[in-house]
Amino acid sequence: MTEHAVSRESFSARIWRKTLEGVGVKVGLAWVGLLVFAAVFAPFLANSMPLMMSKDGVISAPVLQYLSVEDTWILATFFIALAVYRLRLGAAKRILLFLLGSVVAAVLVNLFVKPPVLVIYDDFRSAAYADVDWRIMPPIPYAPTDYLRDLGSKGLEAPFITEGHTHLMGTEENGADVLSRMIHACRISLSIGLIASGIALLIGVVVGGLMGYFSGIVDMLGMRLVEIFEDIPTLFLLLTFVAFFGRSLYMMMVIIGVTSWSGYARYVRTEFLKLRKQDYVQAAVASGLPLTSILFRHMLPNGVAPLLVAVSFGVAGAILSEATLSFLGLGVVDAPSWGQMLDQAVKSSTFNWWMAVFPGGAIFMTVFAYNLIGEAFRDAIDPQLSRKAGVNT
Amino acid sequence: MNGQLLEVRNLRTHLQADGREVRAVDDISFSIPKGETFCLVGESGSGKSVSALSVIRLLPYGIASHPSGEILFNGRDLLKLNDSEIRAVRGSQIAMIFQEPMTSLNPVLTIGEQITEALQLHHPEMSDAEAEQRTMMALEQVQIPYAFGRFRDYPHQLSGGQRQRVMIAMALACEPQLLIADEPTTALDVTVQAEILRLMRKLQDDTGMSMLFITHDFGVVSQMAQWVGVMQQGKIVEVGPCSEVLRKPRHPYTRQLLAALPENLAKPATVQSQHQAEQSSIDQTPLLQIRNLKVWFPIKKGLLRRIVDYVRAVDEVSLDIPQGQIVALVGESGCGKTTLGRAVLQLEKPTSGSIQLQGQELTGLSARELRPLRRKMQIAFQDPQSSLNPRLLIETTLTEPMKVHGIGSNHEQRIELAGRLLENVQLKRDFLWRYPHEFSGGQRQRIGLARALTLNPEFIVCDEITSALDVSVQAEILQLLLSIRQQRNLTLLFITHNIGVVEYLSDRTVVMYKGKIVEQGATAQICGHPQHPYTQKLLEAVPRLLL
Repeated sequence: MTEHAVSRESFSARIWRKTLEGVGVKVGLAWVGLLVFAAVFAPFLANSMPLMMSKDGVISAPVLQYLSVEDTWILATFFIALAVYRLRLGAAKRILLFLLGSVVAAVLVNLFVKPPVLVIYDDFRSAAYADVDWRIMPPIPYAPTDYLRDLGSKGLEAPFITEGHTHLMGTEENGADVLSRMIHACRISLSIGLIASGIALLIGVVVGGLMGYFSGIVDMLGMRLVEIFEDIPTLFLLLTFVAFFGRSLYMMMVIIGVTSWSGYARYVRTEFLKLRKQDYVQAAVASGLPLTSILFRHMLPNGVAPLLVAVSFGVAGAILSEATLSFLGLGVVDAPSWGQMLDQAVKSSTFNWWMAVFPGGAIFMTVFAYNLIGEAFRDAIDPQLSRKAGVNT
Repeated sequence: MNGQLLEVRNLRTHLQADGREVRAVDDISFSIPKGETFCLVGESGSGKSVSALSVIRLLPYGIASHPSGEILFNGRDLLKLNDSEIRAVRGSQIAMIFQEPMTSLNPVLTIGEQITEALQLHHPEMSDAEAEQRTMMALEQVQIPYAFGRFRDYPHQLSGGQRQRVMIAMALACEPQLLIADEPTTALDVTVQAEILRLMRKLQDDTGMSMLFITHDFGVVSQMAQWVGVMQQGKIVEVGPCSEVLRKPRHPYTRQLLAALPENLAKPATVQSQHQAEQSSIDQTPLLQIRNLKVWFPIKKGLLRRIVDYVRAVDEVSLDIPQGQIVALVGESGCGKTTLGRAVLQLEKPTSGSIQLQGQELTGLSARELRPLRRKMQIAFQDPQSSLNPRLLIETTLTEPMKVHGIGSNHEQRIELAGRLLENVQLKRDFLWRYPHEFSGGQRQRIGLARALTLNPEFIVCDEITSALDVSVQAEILQLLLSIRQQRNLTLLFITHNIGVVEYLSDRTVVMYKGKIVEQGATAQICGHPQHPYTQKLLEAVPRLLL
């Protein structure tokens, strides 16, 4: 028998390795990766203006000129995330640095990026842009809000039937390209999932952690608070707020976040109650370590794994909530969203299959992908499963 | 055949784990005569439990295989029987009892139902009334008080010892010829263990059954066995009559195991002069003074969570711990010894009473006021699995407390100190850069000790630090503890239930019973001439190697 058949990898590295073992999780991660790619680079993937062109010897990049504040900020945040990931720092420091970087980027972008206020897509098909030496167009040469009036689009055309220009997934009722709208809609799905879950996670960890560590009266009050929030019907609250304050994506994120933290709080509370009695936590107390170190260094990292499983399911739930709201016609007005496209499919007098299949499939795949990731994660941290073949010898 | 009930010949058991094949049992042979007891003894992982499970064929399907060997029971090879034939043997002719009395009974059935079910399974012709009668007899046989009334009790209404009695009653209800007992008393207190062992010997005399007894405790072996097999890494290295193996061990491994028992360990020279140390320590004020300490846990009931009663875990305890001495705190499980240790370190809030460390009162201090005092007192724990944070490098675990208390001026210096500490507990310096799961149980206990030493304390509470370890590892830890104590003039409160360890290690002994201290004094005096009836009973119950 080998003396030490143990590897030198850390606890989190082992969890990651086990999570990535299955096929399902790879499919899930690949899909989410695709969504992230589409969301970040949407203006370069689907847009009416050329990526680059040369006219009369002058080379210009109209896409960059027309890049909106939001587009620039998303790009900046993405590259900050990549850079921070490469740094050799602790997880907490990396997250902090990333958040700081993205806030700074938001301020800078708002100050310095001044895109043209009015965008007339028809212009890009006029001589000024069409009659050039050479130009590179995006793979999908239509912007999501380009209704193709100059081309005489009547809207609601099935894929490939339009003469003169191809729409891989057809057009929607206003005549815009469906694939382009699908790509730009990734942003809403991703951001609502991540930000709403992030808000819920933050509240859940703080409330649950305090309940679990201090127990007693704090625990009792906290649990009542959890029960109150569990009784709030998220969808009806969203409907009410939309009715009173109009439609806003950020309001939706906040409401979904604020109403869905109770599950996370329960998880953290249970873990902390268990961890509080662990010997290494007691040893930390006996060494006189400060409370923040005990909570965040000795307890939270050991209790975070089941939480991450819950989060991956929570992200899927938040995406569904937004899709439901958009489907009910109460979503964001002009930005494209998958749920809103489904709404169009239903409201139209004829059945337009491409309006139902593509956004519906995307919602299904995204929720499915997050569930696959969550499940693989749960299996990886479940000691019962990993010990299934281990007979104690 | 000549009177052998069970003959195991050249048995091999291979287990499949993570795609590797482990030779858990490697070519063992032994036999058990009718009416006698064979003990398999060895350290954890030596394959003794797997051997027993092989005999009754209870190893999980598909994982275990037997490349060779035969198990002859009354002349029939058990390995050749099919599933229904082995089921007829199991329970009715060979019965088994397990280590953990808390989990081996089904909590939703009454104990009567469980025994009756086992009976009627093997004797389908038996009527309900008859089975009930037999069950009652079986319960009386294992000396459960008021067996008649206990019939409809659920397992949680019984104590650990009583549950183990019920397990034995269930095993014996069908009058088996062979009883396999896998560490049946390991989870029990010594006093209960003594009763169970006595009961098992009596039942063997009455019924004439044979026993295959598995244990790691040589004291238990000497009380139970006619025959002994010593196992090491799946092999039986020595087998023979009990008295011969224990008195004149031939194999070096057996000798090593016997020498590692705390009662056989050579005491270092300094402990001999303990008498003088005690004389001098009486004059100075004790390091730690505990007066009328109470730790009561409220029992709350009803809608308003009214406090109806208290669990008196520690009740009116007064105790002095002199500077530089090792004080052993002994008692059975649930007597409050761990709670007392934790209350001293202010990990548990005392209900009332006073604790003074070098004349300074500890109770009622805020966390901030307590922090500088935390340097002086530390704790080491029992369970090697949970005593280290699995997410942190050993380096972080050791240097973080130093940083908080301002030991060492920079990180490099602290790492240097931590490395020196690891060498202090006889580990390699580069173990700093590893995670806890890379270490064995004994190594983790050493690291736990190193962590307790990081702040250079004067006082350490050792809470059963050796009870989860094998004897040879325990011996190493005890010797290490003595040498560290000498280097640093440490004072230890050593909580344990193992009398052998107490006699080896401690200068003074304190006996606790039901939250109160019943007797305290110099170890030699307590162990030699116990005064209190409980101490006498406790010392009597300790299974000693009768040589």
